[in-house]
Amino acid sequence: MLAGRGRNKIRPPRRGLGTGDAVDFDSMWQVLEASLREIHTKNASKLSFEEQYRNAYKLVLKKRGETLYERVKDFEERWLTNEVRPRIIAVAAPVLSLFDTTSSTIATVNEKRLAGERLLRALKQAWEDHNLCMSMTTDVLMYMDRVYCKDFRKPSIFTASMGQFRDCVLRTPVHADNQVSVSQVLNAVILDQVRMDREGDMIDKSLLKSCVYMLEGLYETEEEEEHLKLYLTSFEPEFLRASEEFYRNEGSTLLLDADAGTFCRHAKKRVSEEEDRCRSTLSPLTLRKIKTVVETELIKNHLREVIALEGSGVKYMLDNDRTSDLAMIFDLSARVDPQKTELKKAVQSRIVEQGTDVNNATVAATQAPAKPSAPTGDKADSEDKAPEKPINLQTNAAIGWVDGVLRLKDKYDNFLTEAFQSDQGLQTALTRSFTDFINAFERLSEFVSLFFDENMKKGIKGKTENEVDALLDKGITLLRYIQDKDMFERYYKKHLSRRLLMKRSISMDAERQMISKMKMEVGNTFTQRIEAMFRDMAVSVDLTSQYKRHVAQLGDPDPQRADIEVNVLTSTMWPLEAMAPSYNEGEDRPRCNFPPQIERVKQGFEKFYLDKHSGRKLTWQANMGTADLRAYFHEMKGKKTRELNVSTYAMIILLLFNDLPPGQFLSCEEIQAQTNIPINELTRNLQSLAVASKTQVLTKKPMSKDVKLSDKFYFNEQFYSQFQRVKIGVVTSGNRVEDPIERSETEKKNNDTRAGSIEAAIVRIMKQRKELNHQKLIAEVIQQLTARFKPDINMVKKRIESLIEREYLERIDDTEPAAYRYLA
Amino acid sequence: MSDTPPPFVTLISNDGFEFIVSRDAACVAGTIKKMLDPTSKFFEATTGRCNLSTINGVVLEKVCEYLYYNLKNKNASDVPDMEIPPELCLELLMAADYLHV
Repeated sequence: MLAGRGRNKIRPPRRGLGTGDAVDFDSMWQVLEASLREIHTKNASKLSFEEQYRNAYKLVLKKRGETLYERVKDFEERWLTNEVRPRIIAVAAPVLSLFDTTSSTIATVNEKRLAGERLLRALKQAWEDHNLCMSMTTDVLMYMDRVYCKDFRKPSIFTASMGQFRDCVLRTPVHADNQVSVSQVLNAVILDQVRMDREGDMIDKSLLKSCVYMLEGLYETEEEEEHLKLYLTSFEPEFLRASEEFYRNEGSTLLLDADAGTFCRHAKKRVSEEEDRCRSTLSPLTLRKIKTVVETELIKNHLREVIALEGSGVKYMLDNDRTSDLAMIFDLSARVDPQKTELKKAVQSRIVEQGTDVNNATVAATQAPAKPSAPTGDKADSEDKAPEKPINLQTNAAIGWVDGVLRLKDKYDNFLTEAFQSDQGLQTALTRSFTDFINAFERLSEFVSLFFDENMKKGIKGKTENEVDALLDKGITLLRYIQDKDMFERYYKKHLSRRLLMKRSISMDAERQMISKMKMEVGNTFTQRIEAMFRDMAVSVDLTSQYKRHVAQLGDPDPQRADIEVNVLTSTMWPLEAMAPSYNEGEDRPRCNFPPQIERVKQGFEKFYLDKHSGRKLTWQANMGTADLRAYFHEMKGKKTRELNVSTYAMIILLLFNDLPPGQFLSCEEIQAQTNIPINELTRNLQSLAVASKTQVLTKKPMSKDVKLSDKFYFNEQFYSQFQRVKIGVVTSGNRVEDPIERSETEKKNNDTRAGSIEAAIVRIMKQRKELNHQKLIAEVIQQLTARFKPDINMVKKRIESLIEREYLERIDDTEPAAYRYLA
Repeated sequence: MSDTPPPFVTLISNDGFEFIVSRDAACVAGTIKKMLDPTSKFFEATTGRCNLSTINGVVLEKVCEYLYYNLKNKNASDVPDMEIPPELCLELLMAADYLHV
């Protein structure tokens, strides 16, 4: 209360409480004891709180607090021992005997349960009574708690009596002769109930909960420390142990007779059940612990087996798109192992398996027709069009492979988002396995490039911009996995050049889009040359139109004059050797003889071009061009002219027949002599002119598939085509899968390029570092080059040797490990 | 007693004065609060009348004044001091101790 402000004299109280009347302790205690008894027998309504309180108050004021405290404790102990304990023991004993002798007597589950519930109920009753009485007693003795207990640091009377309840009721042995205490029986009963609940029986959850409350309300010591709750010290360990056992058994039985999906569903259900149980029946304190138990016993210890389960494990789920099951597996794995090692392993191995399947299927597809194609040379007439077949098949196989890989990728991407919550770790795992199996396939660069080629030529026809975009993106994802990007560049350039020169590409926009995508993915240097190719094409278009204007200005009105369209290509940027694969590099390229009217045009252009750009050299690549001819067929019904679209070589050949009187022939040898077309090109062109059934502008004698030097060729007067315009393709001029010889050649060339880049990288590094030891040098080289390809260590070593020989580097003597020095 | 106890209780001094105060105010005093606690079925709780035989009318009047004063200013700050006559100081202190205010 607030003190008065005045300094007036303070009057003594009119009637002193502490001094006035002598207090007779014993008589007062008797009154108190009687009323305590009333409280315990629930007859408190007749008592006056004020009277009891006043008595206790006085006793404490009289410094008899200690005696009062001890007396009350005494009283409580007597009460608990004499009144409560016998009741509890009476119900606990039958339970104990039932639990003890489960093996010998046939105690039905029901009996056990009833006895258990009786004990629980009795305990609950006793506990609630005790709690109520003690709270009333505490109220009455509030003054004692406040003054005496605080001053003497005694536990409040409530706490003390709780301890007594613990000692006198729970810790008493059920039988005098054995050591089983009431609390142990209680634990057993609760565990039994929980077990029944787990097995699906109905139990009285609230009853269980109140008993758990009791255990939670009691402490080991009078200090009531949080971690010394009886619940935590006596019940919880037992509970966890029992749960462990339960789930261990359940896990093994479940594994025997359930599939992985069921197992996961069950495990998940169990976990949530246990969570519920902790909330509704037991204490939330146990939540985390029991979860750990379930997770370890049910999930962690069995996860590997579940994932590997034959016929229903992860493999099965992946194969059958069981997204929800996979999500569950993922969830379970995430619980026990943040790394999800097992799941990752399983998924990875499955990807590699499936990827290898795709690889093998493609290899099989490319090899199967390759075998019959080998003997076709001998029995050519037996198989129609056989030489074309394997090529198409192989191209199809390539595209099939890409499609297969993309499908796989789509599938797993889907799993990743749907089932695996886009988990980072799994994503890297997926990427790694894709990289593994894709790179295990040795022709991937070629195939991916072919895939683009095919799509650029045909695939994107009639597709919307978005679809094209998606398609290209897919291709780019594959590109991302490719380790040997230089190989891919090589193939892509080769295929691109064919597309550009033969105008096979459907959409230049798509091509440009593709390049910008590649640029983003792989970097500037990668696309530089490809872009240069496009530039050349654009410049050439300009050049041609300029030339046409130039010719018009010259005023050379030659009606016979052939139009010309030239593509001037920078030789370093274009894979020219790939376009004319039959020449070795050192060898001089044989010039073919153009017919005079063409030669004139050619020279005209050469003059025009060299006037504009002096010092450049033009080399004519006749093998890449096409020509439009107008041919006149005497025998044809209706309109007698047809436009023929042929390759440059075919044009030259056909022009030879212009000068020939009808009925005359040219032998293959003669054609060769007159035109100087390389023999393999010549045969190919003659084949397409004379053998292919729809475009037989020439007839050949003898009629066979192969062209021999002695074969004779006639102009085919009977040629007929319903179309006005006839396109005569040269056999095997399209982009296709390479045969093994071409492949090894490409690889060899690629290795040469690589050697160059490796040397460049070494020199760059050494120039900067001056001195470096061997390991570090190799590591840096690899690091610099991985964006383009994965350098072979032996190759790097050889390059170092070669650089030392050429005195760019020297070995530093007497160093361990070996080191090099840069020689400027 | 009914579920909702009546809102007013009677405090009786040793010299017979009866003060009828609101239950909320009365419960400011810890002892009276326990006394009136409906879960423990003491005589006072059932009847709503508290005989405070250690406190006389004058003091109890002041106590009641304080109970209301405390209730009113429970959450306020800068509360003006209550007027306490010096001659009642000691008795009020003892009453406060007894009532656990």
